[in-house]
Amino acid sequence: MRGRVLALTIGIQRRRQGCIAALLLLGAAAALAFTAQASPASGAPGPDLQFPQPPQRLITLLPSITETVCALGACDRLVATDRYSDWPAAVRALPKAGGLDDAEIELIVSLKPDLVILSRSQRITDRLGGLGIASLSLETDRYGDIEHNIDVLGRILGVPGRATRLNAAIAAQVRAIGETARAVRVGAGPRVYFEVDRTPYAAGPTSFIGELLTRVGARNIVTADLGPFPKLNPEYVVRYPPDVIFVSAADATTLAERPGWDQLRAVKEQRYCSFPAEVNDTLVRPGPRVAAGMQAIADCLRRVAP
Amino acid sequence: MSAVRPTDAVLPGDVPSARADSRLVYWLAACVATTLLLTGASLLIGTSSVETSFGWLLTPDAQSALILWHIRLPRTVGAWAAGALLGLAGAVAQGVFRNPLAEPYLLGTASGAALGVTLSLLGMDASIGALAWTAKLGVTGAACIGACAAIALTILLSRGVLQTANLLLAGIVVAFLLSAVTSLLLLTRPDVWRSMQSFLLGSTGFLSWSGAALLGVVLCVCIVPAILLSRGLDALSLGEDTAQSLGLSLPMLRLTLLGVLSLATAAAVGQVGIVGFVGLVAPHLVRETITVNHRQLLIGAPLCGGALLQGADLVSRWIIHPAELPVGAVTAVVGGIYLVALLWRRSRHE
Amino acid sequence: MSESTFPRTADSPALCTEGLALGYGSRTVIRDITLDIRAGAWTAIVGPNGSGKSTLLRALAGLTPPRAGRIFLRGRPLSHWSRRERARQLAWLAQDSGATNLTAVEVVGLGRFAHSGWLSSRKTEDDAAMRRAMQATGSLPWASRRVSTLSGGERQRVMLARVLAVEAAVLLLDEPTTHLDPPHQEDIARILRDQAHGCGVCVVSAIHDLSLALTADRLIVLGATGLIGHGTVREALAGDWLSTAFRTRVDIVELAGVYLWRPTLRAADAVAAELP
Repeated sequence: MRGRVLALTIGIQRRRQGCIAALLLLGAAAALAFTAQASPASGAPGPDLQFPQPPQRLITLLPSITETVCALGACDRLVATDRYSDWPAAVRALPKAGGLDDAEIELIVSLKPDLVILSRSQRITDRLGGLGIASLSLETDRYGDIEHNIDVLGRILGVPGRATRLNAAIAAQVRAIGETARAVRVGAGPRVYFEVDRTPYAAGPTSFIGELLTRVGARNIVTADLGPFPKLNPEYVVRYPPDVIFVSAADATTLAERPGWDQLRAVKEQRYCSFPAEVNDTLVRPGPRVAAGMQAIADCLRRVAP
Repeated sequence: MSAVRPTDAVLPGDVPSARADSRLVYWLAACVATTLLLTGASLLIGTSSVETSFGWLLTPDAQSALILWHIRLPRTVGAWAAGALLGLAGAVAQGVFRNPLAEPYLLGTASGAALGVTLSLLGMDASIGALAWTAKLGVTGAACIGACAAIALTILLSRGVLQTANLLLAGIVVAFLLSAVTSLLLLTRPDVWRSMQSFLLGSTGFLSWSGAALLGVVLCVCIVPAILLSRGLDALSLGEDTAQSLGLSLPMLRLTLLGVLSLATAAAVGQVGIVGFVGLVAPHLVRETITVNHRQLLIGAPLCGGALLQGADLVSRWIIHPAELPVGAVTAVVGGIYLVALLWRRSRHE
Repeated sequence: MSESTFPRTADSPALCTEGLALGYGSRTVIRDITLDIRAGAWTAIVGPNGSGKSTLLRALAGLTPPRAGRIFLRGRPLSHWSRRERARQLAWLAQDSGATNLTAVEVVGLGRFAHSGWLSSRKTEDDAAMRRAMQATGSLPWASRRVSTLSGGERQRVMLARVLAVEAAVLLLDEPTTHLDPPHQEDIARILRDQAHGCGVCVVSAIHDLSLALTADRLIVLGATGLIGHGTVREALAGDWLSTAFRTRVDIVELAGVYLWRPTLRAADAVAAELP
């Protein structure tokens, strides 16, 4: 009898310990999540980003932002960029302050910038704030962000007029490309499959590349519900065969080896679109060169589509 | 022979012969049945969930026939073969090292294969000559070579196969070293990182008939010596000294079985990337449900591993179809749940 | 089978050593041992802890190579025997056996490894040997049970059956009676004597239980300084080898024809005075 009571007590104790452990774990997880959330990532500039005069020393930590700043004519105000910014040629000589996830805080602080502009997904905003450096986080994923960022930067940098003109120019170019593509097209647009990576990861219509493809009049075989960059089952491409495949030049040679793909018309007739690195950059950096990217896509489609 | 021993008379209660344990037979039959079921399900599941009309299966049009026989069937057969290889490798590892937590990657194979693939992916853009080489080898060949090189390095570091403790330690060192080198290389080229991730998480997406055939051949080549040497593993389970005194040549046994382990793991990793837990869980499952000697284990573990990976492949294709999860992620979740259940059951018994 | 030439008399040595020296690493445990071990007799190796009983036994089994000196098995140097032949001549029982999932009959079947080889095709003579071994140790009742489910005594008897199944000319047993209660210890002792006297096997065992060791035919007495003596039990008692080995902390008394040991229980400081 006593043994049974003892066993029961131990059992209850163990269960209580288990509950306490679980609660602690949950609490720790919640605390972590809370602190992760608490970092302020501002899209629109907050009240503390009022400058008595437009900032003169800028550091940009994303290539698309670098390009936007230069397109607004403020290239000379840049004191450093991230290591991947390479357009226009002038910025290549600037000091490099790290990559997407490993910004070099010391270099940034030593250059005494007035403003650091980065993307919302970069996490050093808190550190910069703690060190007394003003920072601006921008969303840089979608087509719509281009116009928005140009406006915001134009206002902050004190060149709102140039920003409006830049936006208008870009809109006009994009419209022109779209109209030409529509005029040349026969019937519905070509079905395309844009392969971002050999895994295979595809670009869906909700990604930036996908939006460009849509504007050019192409039909993405990937549907919007799959997300911006779905990891596809390779069978999908055989199921919904595209007319044109966008793929890197190196991977293009391996497409015929994939089971079932050698029967695809696009593979048999080698209807591939591969872009060199500089052109590829315009497709992954939502910035002022978007029209050039669209043009490249449209040209290739016109050349290669059946 | 020697003089008449005291009690030579035939007594009742004779020594039982090696009858096939009926539980083992049921278990093997269950494995085979599961495999067939999964193969059938694989044919029906893919980008468009479950094909509800069997007519589609029996009289498919050209495109569906292509998908069925050239994509889904080789993929599921290849997944089974890869899982069988991993299960065999895991059983061999657990026998040679006499440790139920041993698994196929403990000699650094995973890190070696990852490094091989990284070099191959980086080499593609390095130069025309490098591109020619990497194209000839392919990611598969690079992974295989990397895995074998890692094992060779481990054996070199532990100075032979005589001391299992040295081997294990050397394996850990090599794994850390090679994965550090891989990380450093990837830092210089982060765009390769995403392709590497797909390898590191395992992928059965591009298994073709040639890949499946290769895996099948390697399976046959590996399983024969393993089963022939299984009695040696039994003797080894009694202790190294006892095994030696029975006339077993420990270095020969270890070397051959490590060779089997290396070949099996390298082939599997080359085709499907790094898939964890199958090599650990398959022999465990066999031993937990039916306790066996090593010959039965080396038959049961591949069958179990094959069914496991087949099932994981099916789940990875079905859950978020037409997108798919990396198969290594599915095996990790399933394996993790199994191990947690095992721990739970053990602690309740105490 | 070469057993037809197996000498049967109790006078011919099955194993002998010449100037044997054994050690681990930089330590030399045993120096310059020359002895011969007879067939048809049960020889027990006794001595205090650390005197090298297990080391000597392992060397005789060919498991660790000696530092110096040579070991002869039936007249031929141990190193001249092939591994397989040696496995048929020598059977070894370890002090602790590993955890194993095998059934009792599978374990005993492993004893036939040196005869039947890798493929466990069991010929009739294998079956007969296994039957005899399991009968002798009384382990037939649990032949199909897993060894891990047996008690310590039952498991030890299965391991002993494995050793007997080898039908070797020499049995080397390291502490065969650990974990056993007195009735089972008596069983083991009886089996060993049967093997030695009835089948002419050369039985060597390291035993730390003195009373049991004194029921053997011959003794090898090891001490801190090395080999103290080897010979029959009477010679050992006459030469007071055991007192020397155990530093006069044991007394041997004879009771109804059986030798027993008892502790001398001297004062603690007298013991301390003797320690190095």
